[in-house]
Amino acid sequence: MHSSLAEGLAGLAERIRQITVRVHGRGSGHGSGVIWRPDGHIVTSAHVASRLATVVLSDDRAFETAVIACDPERDLAAIKVDAGPLPAAAIGDSDALRVGDMVFAVGHPFGGTGTLTAGIVHRVRRRDGPSDRRWVEADVHVAPGNSGGPLVDAHGRVIGINAMVAGGVALAVPSNVVERFLSDADARARLGGAGRPGVGHRRPA
Amino acid sequence: MDSTLLSLSDNLAGAVARAGRAVVAVNARRRVSSTGVHWRPGVVVTADHTVRMEEEITITRPDGRPLPAALAGRDPGTDLAVLRVPDLDLPVAELGDTGSCKVGHIVLALGAGPSASWGVVSAVGGRWHTWRGGEVDRLVRLDLVLYPGFSGGPLVDIDGRVIGINTSGLSRVTPVAIPLATVSRVSDELLTRGRVARGYLGLALHPVRLPEALARAVGLATRTGLVVVNVEADGPAGKAGLLLGDVLVALDGNAVGETDDIQAALGSQRVGSTVRAHIIRAGMSSQVEITVGERPPRRR
Repeated sequence: MHSSLAEGLAGLAERIRQITVRVHGRGSGHGSGVIWRPDGHIVTSAHVASRLATVVLSDDRAFETAVIACDPERDLAAIKVDAGPLPAAAIGDSDALRVGDMVFAVGHPFGGTGTLTAGIVHRVRRRDGPSDRRWVEADVHVAPGNSGGPLVDAHGRVIGINAMVAGGVALAVPSNVVERFLSDADARARLGGAGRPGVGHRRPA
Repeated sequence: MDSTLLSLSDNLAGAVARAGRAVVAVNARRRVSSTGVHWRPGVVVTADHTVRMEEEITITRPDGRPLPAALAGRDPGTDLAVLRVPDLDLPVAELGDTGSCKVGHIVLALGAGPSASWGVVSAVGGRWHTWRGGEVDRLVRLDLVLYPGFSGGPLVDIDGRVIGINTSGLSRVTPVAIPLATVSRVSDELLTRGRVARGYLGLALHPVRLPEALARAVGLATRTGLVVVNVEADGPAGKAGLLLGDVLVALDGNAVGETDDIQAALGSQRVGSTVRAHIIRAGMSSQVEITVGERPPRRR
């Protein structure tokens, strides 16, 4: 019983470590990132990488690459590395979180090796509709280098991107907001990098 | 995925949902609201230090509806305050057993909302006296974060039962939980009398070490006493004739070496009764009878 809890945590830590990368933004700082898709799409915080970044995978392969999408308001950035198929995160439903659910943050605070911290969902604010400004609020210790790194649930699914600490509470961008950010970025890429929100119609493909 | 980890996570979320039904926000100070627990029908318990106004207090239900509340009484000594909220139709807290609480148990602290933090019980101990002069039945120290506004909220076990009231107001080192026995005793007294009576001598005392020759001369086993550094002229000890510079060495035959010993000897049941004070004055031993008074309420 007890060993299985410890083993379960260790297994979860190892799985999250593989989908977590180090990100050194050009002229901004360092932090973490999450391999969101096997094709090399990586999500991090806009305050970690806004234009150019060096990405270091868990197997220490390093890639110099450009940021393909950046949203400072949602504090999100997307990077693409050409590294062949990568172990990608399982994505959870951030709208289904309950106060008290266990969460785990993995990141590279102080530029060091991956750290794991354990906590719980601190609060779930009720809103009438989905809002981009909502946060996952967690009672978990995070440090600056956690920025851009994953917050995962007890299933090992990523439910947020760690962004900042406010009043001692760790705030993460919900995974559902990240999904919308990526699909917006995809849509813009299809539109030829127009970089502006559409008005409800699309050019035929 | 690992089932033990998942069931722990489920238990924690379930405990928050279960205990959170009896948790309200208490609006009795500017800025940050604090937390209260629906202790029994129409009665909410919170932390005294978070109650900064005595009128126009409201509570906020989990669904966001405010309700007027009346302050029934407050006890700074144990940092507890009791509110009457007649129209509160929430379930009352399901109580666990503080006595079964062990070091290492995983626990949750709840704030209004509900919001939560988790951690472990880091120390348990026996009866203790707070720096504010109250008596608490059991020491429960917590290794968890009490976020702003969490004081007055419940300490919850993994099954979702309330095992104490959390406060940051009784220790600067770690949060502590006030055990159920103390909450029960103090809230009963506050509801019936509006206050918790405390024995009072009207003395300021400071620990001193007695010279060995003096201790031997007056036949004392201990070498510590409490020197009187202030006497309230109209107070119980003042009326009994105690003077500045007297050294108090025992009350009713029990040695007193630190001020906590005085508080322990003067519970609410001693108000109006007589204690025999053993003092040393000018190198001579003597006994003085003092009628214990009731400590006047703190001025605010």
